[in-house]
Amino acid sequence: MMPARKMAHRACFFVSRTVYLTCCCGCCSALRPRYKRLVDNIFPASPQDGLVKSNMEKLTFYSLSSPEKLDRIGEYLFQKASRDIYRRRHGFVIIAMEAMDQLLLACHSQTLNLFVESFLKMVQKLLESTDPQLQILATQSFVRFANIEEDTPSYHRRYDFFVSKFSAMCHSNHGDKNTRDKIRLAGIQGLQGVIRKTVSDDLVENIWEAQHMDKIVPSLLYNMQSAEKYETLSCMESDGRDGVEEQPPRLAEACLRELVGRASFGHIRSVLRPVLTHFDRHDLWIPTDFAVHTFKIIMFSIQAGAGRGRGRVRAARATVLSNIVAIAAGESVGPSVLEIINNLLTNLRTSVARDSEKETDEKLYQEALINALGEFADHLPDYQKIDIMMFIVNKIPSGARGGAGKATRADAMLQGILLKSLLKVGTTYKTTELSKAFPAAFLEALLRLSSASEPSTRVLLQRILHTLLDRRGNAPHLATPTVDYAELGLTVEKCSRQDLIFISKHGYAIFSSLYDGLQLESNTVENIEAIYTTLALLVIELGSEETVCDVMQLILAIQQSGISNPVISVSQQCQLQAVSLSLATLLPHVMMLPRVADYLNKIVEARREEAIHLLPPVLEDYPHLSPTKMPSKLPFLMIDQMALAECLKACGIESSRLQSPSPYTPGGGISLAHRHSWVEAGATQGRDSLADITAGPTTEMDSANSSPGVQRHPMQNESVSLEALRRAANGPSEMERRDAERRKATLNNAFRTAPFGHLVDLTQPKYEVKDKLEELFNSISEEPLLPVSGSCSPGTQTKSYQQNVPPYTKYFPELFLY
Amino acid sequence: MEDYKFLFKVVLVGNAGVGKTCLVRRFTQGLFPPGQGATIGVDFMIKTVEVDGEKVKLQIWDTAGQERFRSITQSYYRSAHALILVYDISCQPTFDCLPDWLREIEEYANNKVLRILVGNKTDREDREIPRHIGEDFAQRHGMYFLETSAKEAENVERLFMEIAVELMEQAKCKELPKYDGNLGPINGGVSCRIRFFVYIFLIRKLLQ
Repeated sequence: MMPARKMAHRACFFVSRTVYLTCCCGCCSALRPRYKRLVDNIFPASPQDGLVKSNMEKLTFYSLSSPEKLDRIGEYLFQKASRDIYRRRHGFVIIAMEAMDQLLLACHSQTLNLFVESFLKMVQKLLESTDPQLQILATQSFVRFANIEEDTPSYHRRYDFFVSKFSAMCHSNHGDKNTRDKIRLAGIQGLQGVIRKTVSDDLVENIWEAQHMDKIVPSLLYNMQSAEKYETLSCMESDGRDGVEEQPPRLAEACLRELVGRASFGHIRSVLRPVLTHFDRHDLWIPTDFAVHTFKIIMFSIQAGAGRGRGRVRAARATVLSNIVAIAAGESVGPSVLEIINNLLTNLRTSVARDSEKETDEKLYQEALINALGEFADHLPDYQKIDIMMFIVNKIPSGARGGAGKATRADAMLQGILLKSLLKVGTTYKTTELSKAFPAAFLEALLRLSSASEPSTRVLLQRILHTLLDRRGNAPHLATPTVDYAELGLTVEKCSRQDLIFISKHGYAIFSSLYDGLQLESNTVENIEAIYTTLALLVIELGSEETVCDVMQLILAIQQSGISNPVISVSQQCQLQAVSLSLATLLPHVMMLPRVADYLNKIVEARREEAIHLLPPVLEDYPHLSPTKMPSKLPFLMIDQMALAECLKACGIESSRLQSPSPYTPGGGISLAHRHSWVEAGATQGRDSLADITAGPTTEMDSANSSPGVQRHPMQNESVSLEALRRAANGPSEMERRDAERRKATLNNAFRTAPFGHLVDLTQPKYEVKDKLEELFNSISEEPLLPVSGSCSPGTQTKSYQQNVPPYTKYFPELFLY
Repeated sequence: MEDYKFLFKVVLVGNAGVGKTCLVRRFTQGLFPPGQGATIGVDFMIKTVEVDGEKVKLQIWDTAGQERFRSITQSYYRSAHALILVYDISCQPTFDCLPDWLREIEEYANNKVLRILVGNKTDREDREIPRHIGEDFAQRHGMYFLETSAKEAENVERLFMEIAVELMEQAKCKELPKYDGNLGPINGGVSCRIRFFVYIFLIRKLLQ
């Protein structure tokens, strides 16, 4: 009369391991353990009736009062359900599962462990069935379980079956769309459950292992990619809209967000790797909208991303990256900024290393990466842009001529690429003060690169200077040399005091590097024009009475080199003449110099008559130049030093310095020796700069003063004017203070923001003694020695400049931390 | 019922359309689904068989043959006890891909995994790969070999039973790779991260 019950009894007879007696069906009921009777009683006669509520309460009460029986109750329920599954009596299975759910929720967390094992076995059993209904039911139970917080998790509990099965469910291909969606939803929910259950506790299964992530992540992505459109808006915050639970794509998205959100810094990689593989496998990079969507989701939860891959796909990826870094930049603080930059640079470097395989693809990729870099920088505040530029500059291999050995081809390429990146970042920077745009170390690095062996590299470098120098949008007008400035509509403003300090400090270094740049044999027209633009910008940005003599001196030197430098060709000589005259005629446009303008106009007219080839535009080649028309044969068409000095004087400018011997000499190799002899023939200078380097600035390290042999003798030079003295007394100290502050800020900033590894690198001594010495000696000979402004002596001035930029602090900033 | 003594994981791999899903369906459900669609990702079936009076539960993971699902299917190789590599005897390309599959297996599966080569669709008239070619290939690569027909239910039962027998023997000799005891290394990055944070914290304090 009660078939279900009878069946249960009989089964119990077979299965139960705690059989007391073998007896017939009629009498066994009394001999059965109590818990079995209680369990049996919760099942109704017909499954349609559902769980017998009152009996279920009895069972719950019993299990709470004697929790030690919980594991047996669980096991017994499981046995019953297994049998019902086997016999396809799903109604009873559902009831058993429901009972287990209720028991699970009623259990106290201490006793939970006893029960969980059979509970999970039950869930697994249901998941193993082919019936979608049971699978979904099991998932729901599992999710309920996952939401319980256990305070004593079981160490031996394993979830790999669940991960495998739920992932399989995420890919359900059931014929009926409705059922398919339900199964997929269940799969995603199940995965979510596993993640919740395992992620918080390192002692349970490590969900971040590849074997799990390789299943979870593709399953989520597979569901996400089937969405009809990707609503990027919803990336902003976790999806609060209705119906998340009903659409697999949206639930998967929510789940992915949760997964990424829970991943710690170190685990992001294990999520990203399968994401990238999945995108490769399913060709999801092109079109980029899904990729952008996905990575936006990821980026909103984390801050850094990375990528490896093949050719075109890589390029597409980088495009995605450049779309998303904007978000990253907006959000990221601290280590992630340099981390991201470093990552991009590393990718660029590896790209250059394998450049041989597929030229165009690789180029595309590099371009995209550089764009990403620019995009990223664009979203950072200006002070960080400078940091980034410094960072990039430090990564550029110094394949300069001064370096030991020849730069390899790869080095040269890398140089080019990194300079392009630098240019990209530079264009996003808006210069206000030159001293901020060109911190000493940065400027020095740039100038060092200006003598790179590759002409195209040098052009790039000049472009960087253009973008950083050009504050008033004049650069496009000054792309090629000209003598007619009136029509160009140049914007000229008065030079600020800070900029004057800047140029008086670094002017010589900049000028002489540009001068040297003009003297190279490998120069193309492009090189010449680029340097012209730089100089013209300098003239415009820094035109003032104080600088006009320096500029004129440089112009005269360029003109002179265009006659006497034996290394360069006749064409180049003509080019230099054109450049020097163009620059000279620019000066009167910047300042009120009527006499100078008149004088130069005469020369321009004269050249127009007799030697058109000495006027702009500069040409690649000057064919059929008769020997009489060589620049060296036309002294009367040159700007004359004496005449120019007179004109300047007439305009009220102290021009005596123009008369002094030129500090510029053609030919890099010999110029060093020359420079030495120029600066102050001999020992004082040598010792002095050495002292500066070894002792360091007094403001930074007082102990240095006590070192023997580093006293500084004030220069006993008669030409020291009162004005110069005053400047030496006041100016530098103010500058120094600012400088020191800025340095301190940079250093602080560097240590706040740099990634750990970078800091470790920084704080570990990088230099061998030998290298250090070499550095020191190099810096002695290359230290920018400035021509002085005003009439004060070169010596004093030089010294104070060097104080401001102790090579020491540049090379060993780490020393100042402690 | 749940009193099985052994649990083995069997994974089926091979090109799309060689009949992996049909083999599994035939074995687990005894039917041949005409017009079976391509598997997406991974499918899962279970079957308990009896060997020498002991119950053996076979977890059968049926993977998608399509290239695009390769990354997720590979992740299932790792914990497999047996890998069934299937090709279609009436389709030369599916046979030609076998070396690629072996390479995949080599890379992602346990090296002790039991490997079985199966030439499916013997019911087809247009055979392209003679039996001995398949046999040779299997022998050369140390695999078991069987030709089957999911449609005619030929050798399907035998395939899985032999796997069960073989795996059980291995299990008894303890040669079977064990997957349940391998607790993954507990995340090694922790100490490094902590050091990093402590370091940053100190620096910030010092610079304030």
